[in-house]
Amino acid sequence: MTDPLPRILPSRPEPAAPACWRRRLLAAVGLAAGLALCAPALAAGELSLAQLMQALAQVKSGEARFVEKRRVGELQTTLESSGRLSFQAPDVFVRETLKPRQERLAVTGNHVTMSQGSRSRTLALDSAPEAEAIVEAVRGTLTGNAAALQRHFIPGLSGTLERWTLELEPREPRLRGQVARVTVLGQQAQLREVRILLADGDSSVMQIETLAPGTGR
Amino acid sequence: MNRRWLRQPALWAWLALMLLALGLAWRASYVADLSAFLPRAPSGEQRVLLEQLKRGGTARVMLIGLRGADATTRAEASRTLAAGLRASGHFDAVHNGDHTAWQQAGRFLLDHRYLLSPAVDAERFTVNGLRDGLADTASLLGTPAGSMIKPLLWRDPTGETVRMAEAMMPASAPRIEAGVWMSRQQPRALLVATTRAEGADLDAQAAAVAEVRRAFVPLAGRGLQLELSGPGVMSVEARGQIQAEVERLATIDTVAMVALLLLAFGSLAAVGIALLPVASGVLAGIAAVSLGFGEVHGITLGFGTTLIGEAVDYAIYYLIQARPADPAAAPAGQGHLHWRHHSWPTVRLGLWTSMAGFAALAFSGFAGLAQLGVFSLAGLAAAALTTRHLLPCLAPDGAAGLGLRRPLGRAVARAAAALPRWRWPLAALTVAALAWLALQPSAWRGTLASLSPVAPAALQLDASLRADLGASEAGTLIAIEAPDEATALERAEQAGRRLDALVADGRLLGYESPAKLLPSPATQRARQRALPNADTLRARLAEAAEGGPLPAARMQPFIDDVQAQRRLPPLTRASLAGTPLDSALQAQLLPGHAGGPWTVLLHLQLPPQPTLDGTSLRAALAGLPDTRVVQIQAELDGLYRHYLREAQWQAGLGALAVLLLLGAHLRSLRRLLAVTLPLAASVALLLAGLTAAGVPLGVLHLVGLLLVVAVGSNYALFFDHLRHTGEADAETLASLMMANLTTVVSFGVLATAGVPALAGIGLVVAPGALLALVLAAAFIAPSREVPAAARVGQSAR
Repeated sequence: MTDPLPRILPSRPEPAAPACWRRRLLAAVGLAAGLALCAPALAAGELSLAQLMQALAQVKSGEARFVEKRRVGELQTTLESSGRLSFQAPDVFVRETLKPRQERLAVTGNHVTMSQGSRSRTLALDSAPEAEAIVEAVRGTLTGNAAALQRHFIPGLSGTLERWTLELEPREPRLRGQVARVTVLGQQAQLREVRILLADGDSSVMQIETLAPGTGR
Repeated sequence: MNRRWLRQPALWAWLALMLLALGLAWRASYVADLSAFLPRAPSGEQRVLLEQLKRGGTARVMLIGLRGADATTRAEASRTLAAGLRASGHFDAVHNGDHTAWQQAGRFLLDHRYLLSPAVDAERFTVNGLRDGLADTASLLGTPAGSMIKPLLWRDPTGETVRMAEAMMPASAPRIEAGVWMSRQQPRALLVATTRAEGADLDAQAAAVAEVRRAFVPLAGRGLQLELSGPGVMSVEARGQIQAEVERLATIDTVAMVALLLLAFGSLAAVGIALLPVASGVLAGIAAVSLGFGEVHGITLGFGTTLIGEAVDYAIYYLIQARPADPAAAPAGQGHLHWRHHSWPTVRLGLWTSMAGFAALAFSGFAGLAQLGVFSLAGLAAAALTTRHLLPCLAPDGAAGLGLRRPLGRAVARAAAALPRWRWPLAALTVAALAWLALQPSAWRGTLASLSPVAPAALQLDASLRADLGASEAGTLIAIEAPDEATALERAEQAGRRLDALVADGRLLGYESPAKLLPSPATQRARQRALPNADTLRARLAEAAEGGPLPAARMQPFIDDVQAQRRLPPLTRASLAGTPLDSALQAQLLPGHAGGPWTVLLHLQLPPQPTLDGTSLRAALAGLPDTRVVQIQAELDGLYRHYLREAQWQAGLGALAVLLLLGAHLRSLRRLLAVTLPLAASVALLLAGLTAAGVPLGVLHLVGLLLVVAVGSNYALFFDHLRHTGEADAETLASLMMANLTTVVSFGVLATAGVPALAGIGLVVAPGALLALVLAAAFIAPSREVPAAARVGQSAR
């Protein structure tokens, strides 16, 4: 539109909702960490981030089952949930919770769609930086996107390709106030476990079991 | 010096009137927004649109970009600037993505969550409903979102806060980096401010703009640049531009006129006298517009500068032609009598024809055009009357000086004698132009945008800031009218339910509704009725929490909150005042103005590839009272087409009036035809030229064409007169050329204006006036009497 008069009309942007409300999204995404995927075995030895990313980048899609356990300071019991994860390069990521009840979270590019029963809503991922960071922790790892990981985290890699541990510490101080650390454990080009430690001491551990082999290369 | 002129009543009457006009012009209020170019709204959709333009919350929005440096610096600057602007008192709200401003509102919302949360209905507080709510909350715990709701866990175990936030959060929010809004594409932090002042209050808007610039000064040193846009900012800039433009045009015009007059008369006194009708006309025009409209638009003034070119003609005709028929026989001081007898009737007829043209404009439904019409009517009448009654007192025998008139007159005489030979080629050219025009697609495709002085770069900046902010494109919105606030919100809820279905289908990404921020009182009361008493709630809660992770025993704060909120009075727009919700609400819920209806605006967020057109949207909303789908571009186009059609009618009537006047004067169909022919040919050739140049024609070009007819009719009459009386000396021909030159120059200057509304008129009239003169000479001037030039020479001797 080149007309100046309509310029006067468009809706003003809504003021941002409190960040705390956004974190519902983060929650769902945070829980979604991890996919186990097959990939060609690489030679064992000292592993660099570049090597790991390269190995991960070869896997274009995959499906897995997950079991997640969350420990919350306010509660005596451990919260448990389980469901399915799927992933398709370059930027599609779906987490479907089946128990204790059905929920679905789908990320495509910068769009996140959350569904719960008949309710469904779509958001811009980058308007919720916490959610974006957690999505990138998992999606970035799965796609071997070192740039995305390094934009949000200070990565620390240890272990060998046979058993590696990727420690991700949020770069942004604001984010560190909520998420202390994300730890991704893997074997070859498969994710085995995603641990999220929150700043208030709550934590979640998601164990991942590969279902279908990735269509690697 | 003869002091007889001091006793002239005409002089004193003129002075008194001019003083009166000066007083009126002094007290007039001058505006330069675009509102004068908006019509009295013809349809409901357009009425909504114009209400928005004038009073809507969106007209008060200012978009601010901080460009450059790194993200951290930008974020810090964004916070500093936002804090400074919030403290300045110029703004109702300043948003930059930082949520600290929401903490206060968060508490307020929390205390009303069972009235506001869309999840609350009769079902929500049954055992099953409670179980679902508890499960929702449990699914968040142990995640970052969970740590944010944990402090409220036992007060709000069903997660109404979350549901409220979901409803209020738009689907297309800006990107957040370092805690504030940032562009997705560019190194730019973004802020949105809502001015306290109405969008139409340009002085206050200018003060707000100045405040932003002042607050930015300390930040400039950090390598940042300020980018500003929004309706108010654009209007302020446009006003400045129009003012500067009008001053520039007036200066150039005056200088050019003085130079031309000096050439013609070679006497400063004559120049001074020649400028009197002009000054009188401009003053009278301003006074008349100010009286008639209560304000004077800058565009009107800019246009008024061209009146200088028209009005000076009267003085030129007078000063040159007011000479005794036989200088030897008549005593000095009788020249004006000769002029009054021989020339004034023609000048008067020219005045009538010009006025007929402008009178059509005066009845326009568009204040801007009507002002132009009234200004010109009053201005021309005043200039002519000044010439007729004042100039004879001041210069009874015209101007003494000769300047370059003689050579000019001889050149014109030669040209006038030669031009008739071109009659047939010019006629053929005209016919060819008409034929070519008939084959072309209509060039009448100007848009409302063509009236706007806003520069393309400013529009681009505005578009890019809006895109960054995820502001929904104003393509389509839904407007609902209702007699009061409660009904307005109820109707918004009704429409919302229809739209929810479209969202569920994926045909709509989302929509903004004031009812999401503030449900209707009826809905709030219905929600309160769904809240059970303490004992009932405790019993149901025990059953719902059984076996779940959240023990009912700890939920006493929840039961207390529910009880407290059962008895709250429903929230209204007034009770949200001062919260961040208020400014969002203002953009979507407009109170009735002066007894008018309340208006609700629902902005739609369409998916990237829209599958929803106006027709299916209308079908989806069918049957809802006073609910309209407003497709803004279509409405604006419709508005402009209406505007153009109206102007075409008026121009047609004006042209008809000109013809009737000419006919009444000439009393001969043949002569009328002869006079009309060059005018019609001028219009045809002009249209062909403009079409060939690819100029999209609009209302202002039409006004220009009308002016060409009005001005050209004077030339045509002149040559008709010449043809039938055979009298034309070099002086008279020079006066015609001078009059034409002043018109061409003043409209040529107008054509250089940076304000498209003004340039459009100038672009048509400057060449049109010249063309009309040439064609009038070619078609009407006596061709057989070649010795005309010789006779001219004799009589000039």
